[in-house]
Amino acid sequence: MRGEIQRERFERLMLPHLDAAYTLAFWLTRNEDQAQDAVQEAFLRALRFFGSFRGEDGRPWLLKIVRNACYELLERERAAGAPEELDEQVHTPDAAAPGAVLVFPVNPEAAAIERAGRELVHGCLRTLPPDYREALILRELHGFSYKEIAAICGVPIGTVMSRLSRGRRLLQFRLIDRLKRKDTGT
Amino acid sequence: MNCPETTRLLNPYVDGELDLATVLAIEEHAQGCARCRASLEGLQATRAALGRHCEFKAAPESLESRLRAGVAREDASGWRAVLRSPLAVAAPGLAALLLAGWLALSDASRNEAPPPAGPTRVVYHISSSGNAGAALRNLANHLQAVPDVKVVVVAHNDGVDFLLRGARDASGQPFEPAVSRFIQRGVEFRVCNNTLERRGIDASQVIPAAALVPSGIAEIGRLQSREGYFYMRL
Repeated sequence: MRGEIQRERFERLMLPHLDAAYTLAFWLTRNEDQAQDAVQEAFLRALRFFGSFRGEDGRPWLLKIVRNACYELLERERAAGAPEELDEQVHTPDAAAPGAVLVFPVNPEAAAIERAGRELVHGCLRTLPPDYREALILRELHGFSYKEIAAICGVPIGTVMSRLSRGRRLLQFRLIDRLKRKDTGT
Repeated sequence: MNCPETTRLLNPYVDGELDLATVLAIEEHAQGCARCRASLEGLQATRAALGRHCEFKAAPESLESRLRAGVAREDASGWRAVLRSPLAVAAPGLAALLLAGWLALSDASRNEAPPPAGPTRVVYHISSSGNAGAALRNLANHLQAVPDVKVVVVAHNDGVDFLLRGARDASGQPFEPAVSRFIQRGVEFRVCNNTLERRGIDASQVIPAAALVPSGIAEIGRLQSREGYFYMRL
């Protein structure tokens, strides 16, 4: 009986976050089927961990589990030798240097970005390094604060800030690069 | 506030993570600094592009029904005592162990209906168009390894695409002859009518060799619970 009440509570508190969970899983795995599998694993795991849920906001709590399930699934696939989608090499000058001052390109490139279509934006986001991609999705799509992102990803707030800065910088760089290449037909 | 400081704080600035005094200092600096203003505009344009083109993805209905079924099935009593600690959430080793446990449990519960005598029965669930080619290759291998296996393929969501007239695989080969060969070997193909309606596909577009079922998900549930089929997702 008690188990039933607990299950009912779980469904009421966690199922409303299904789309949020699926969205994160999709952008981390970049594959709809894997996203579904990861979400399914995460929910069942969340149900088992539900005893440790203290009634705070369920969304970051659940997404932390989703995130872990995604990375474990990707790791298993990698171990099993499945072909993986490669992240593009990070080749902006500042990207690898911790603490480097980030200088954004000077306009009029902001205007160019406004022409970027859906496919281009998705393509550039897909190939961002996972840490950056994750921070961006959690911030821009889910609207989490730096503190919440830090809790979900298990990193300090300063790391969240630098991942977002670098992620956006790299995304902007690639958008402009692709738009230019498109314009010149190369 | 100078340029390096402003640059460093630009992201927390656009994310609303700074206190008012810092916000005002950044704005004051940007007013007089074309370079920082341009950086800010570039950043905002990038954020706007994300906002325009990336939105929440709705989870497939089939996922929600599988989750509900999984939750209903789950008897966590044995696990809870061990897993009260929030630490467990972060322990990948333990999590992997649990996952293995869950997979074993869920496999066991899937097979709760006593397996009927006779050949193995398997339902293939195809829910994504990109997987159809691989699914048919697996199916061919499956039939070769276990010639008397009974397979029903249930196509749902984008997975119905390969059963539409004129559908071709990634190398441009039509799917229909391959499907016909499987049918001759006793495989059945069933298409989710809810999917067709939702996607506005007329039933006449489905190749005649495939049957229509009212709901792909209900069909998969029925095959598993009533007819002793094993579920395989491809």
